[in-house]
Amino acid sequence: MNQDRSLIGWLAVPAVAYLVFVYALPLLWLLARSITGPEGISFALFRDFFADPFSWRVIGNTMRIAGLVTLVCLLVGYPVAFALARAKGVVQVILLAAIILPLSVGVVVKAFAWQVVLRRDGVVSQFLVGIGVWSEPQRLLFTETGLVIGAANVFLPFMILPIYSVVKLIDPRLMEAGATLGVGPFRRLFRILLPLTLPGVVSGIAFVFSLAVSMFVIPSLLIGDRFQTLATLTGRSFLLMRNEALGSVTATVLLVLAVMIVLLSSLLARRAGRFS
Amino acid sequence: MSEAFLEVRNASKSFGTATVLDGVALEVAQGEFVSLLGPSGCGKTTLLRIIAGLTTAESGAVILDGQDITTRPPHKRDVGVVFQNYALFPHLSVAENIGFGLRGRVARNESASIVTRFLELVRMNDFADRSVRALSGGQQQRVAVARALAVAPKLLLLDEPFSALDRKLRETMQMELKRLLRELGTTAIFVTHDQDEALVMSDRIAVMNQGRIEQLDSPQALYDRPATPFALQFVGLSTRIFGEVTSVEADGTIAVTTVHGILRTQGRFARGSPVLLGIRPERISFGTREGCNNIAPRLADIVFQGARVQAHFASTEDEPILLETSARLPTDIAPNAVLPISWAPEDTLVFPRTADS
Repeated sequence: MNQDRSLIGWLAVPAVAYLVFVYALPLLWLLARSITGPEGISFALFRDFFADPFSWRVIGNTMRIAGLVTLVCLLVGYPVAFALARAKGVVQVILLAAIILPLSVGVVVKAFAWQVVLRRDGVVSQFLVGIGVWSEPQRLLFTETGLVIGAANVFLPFMILPIYSVVKLIDPRLMEAGATLGVGPFRRLFRILLPLTLPGVVSGIAFVFSLAVSMFVIPSLLIGDRFQTLATLTGRSFLLMRNEALGSVTATVLLVLAVMIVLLSSLLARRAGRFS
Repeated sequence: MSEAFLEVRNASKSFGTATVLDGVALEVAQGEFVSLLGPSGCGKTTLLRIIAGLTTAESGAVILDGQDITTRPPHKRDVGVVFQNYALFPHLSVAENIGFGLRGRVARNESASIVTRFLELVRMNDFADRSVRALSGGQQQRVAVARALAVAPKLLLLDEPFSALDRKLRETMQMELKRLLRELGTTAIFVTHDQDEALVMSDRIAVMNQGRIEQLDSPQALYDRPATPFALQFVGLSTRIFGEVTSVEADGTIAVTTVHGILRTQGRFARGSPVLLGIRPERISFGTREGCNNIAPRLADIVFQGARVQAHFASTEDEPILLETSARLPTDIAPNAVLPISWAPEDTLVFPRTADS
């Protein structure tokens, strides 16, 4: 038994070796680069970075956009996950396909598609003018709203699927039981469904937030260079400005923020799932 | 029963083309324990769900304690339900499950004392802070009953709550539930397909078949005087013999010609009517008796059941003739012996023979 287990451990070796060489080592190099000054270890780069108000604006942009994208995905995705879990037969297959198939379309393609949709003469603008919400056509492209809409669309499946997998396991009779105990529909939602779906919600948030906080292609195409996030700034530092020092600092800050969010959410999930 | 506490009027429900309930009427008095007994698919669970408001009937009305609750949502009905799979909240402890319906309805300290009281009533005090997932079937069942009763519903509905328990535990739980409901004076409707369970627990039993109530009676009346061939067959064991009325006498005695000869009983049937005779196995005894229905079939099998012995006799009809006695049989009975047996005419139940009997 023991021997079997140690043998099974060896199966992970190729993957681990691959990750060490292409991920862990470069990451270490990046981290090392960010704390290396002319005379050995120094945090001067971080000090300079955090002393610059522009950096804080970039951090703010990053967190705000990621937060909004996560919120939109949660609000849109939560009911969808229920519909998906409670749907039967062909309807469920179609819904699942509708959620999973778009994942096979590249992000660049989707971002370009959103460029077309969000233009001044795009579908959204025409529709909103048509129903009288807007008095004249406006451009959503190159605005934060446009970025949030586009990014939420790309990341939505990563919110729906974890919630769906939790909802699927919830006995529909629990809500009926709540009702027969004299508890109204609104309270049932908060006292039965939300607590039971919380683990799915938290992992959905962790997925979408960590994707949204580090997205590079979508903001590049939907909002442009005037709006910088930690990810786009990192990209620019390395690719355009050839400033490896700045790039490694922004990359490290981004990494720390993303890891913190993920750890925090899994901690919350463990707390919420007291008995699960 | 002058005043009905719960009244179901003419409830009908169909799913697609299948009629599940076909104009069911039911009246239950306050404090009464009524079982809905029938095979699966007879509509008993649907009737329960309609009373609870979890399913909407196509027609009919539900009146509880003088109020028409037909269109009221389940959370405003004061009708508790114990579900077949218990439906306990997996994210809450035993005490939190029991207190679920109390939150926001009574003060916090009052809620705590009610929870403690019900934990004691169902003997789960030692498990108050445990997860309900860690409980055995019997314990979960107790929690489910306590949770439903803690909000003091006017009516408690139980949907086959014992079906997942093994026989011994089931018998204990039946007695416990009966005691608990009597202590609290709760009116209850109990769905089961287990006739023994229904006979043991109920004040009255509604035998359901194909979306209708065939008979609503006390357990004893149901057993002694089943109203329909279905009730005869579904509750208790019986021997069924088909025949035709060949003579009707002035005192109401009818003679029925069967494959076992002429059998006599009491009934109001015209000459020539096809009938079904039913005899309970403990009413038949060995030997020939004057004034009784006497036949001499061939013994097929003897089944020893401890307190009782069952003798199966071969019959030309599909089903064997059953005799049950608490006496010990002589050990030297030959396996294929032809033995005289008899039963009184008044113990011979008679039904009009219908297409489905």
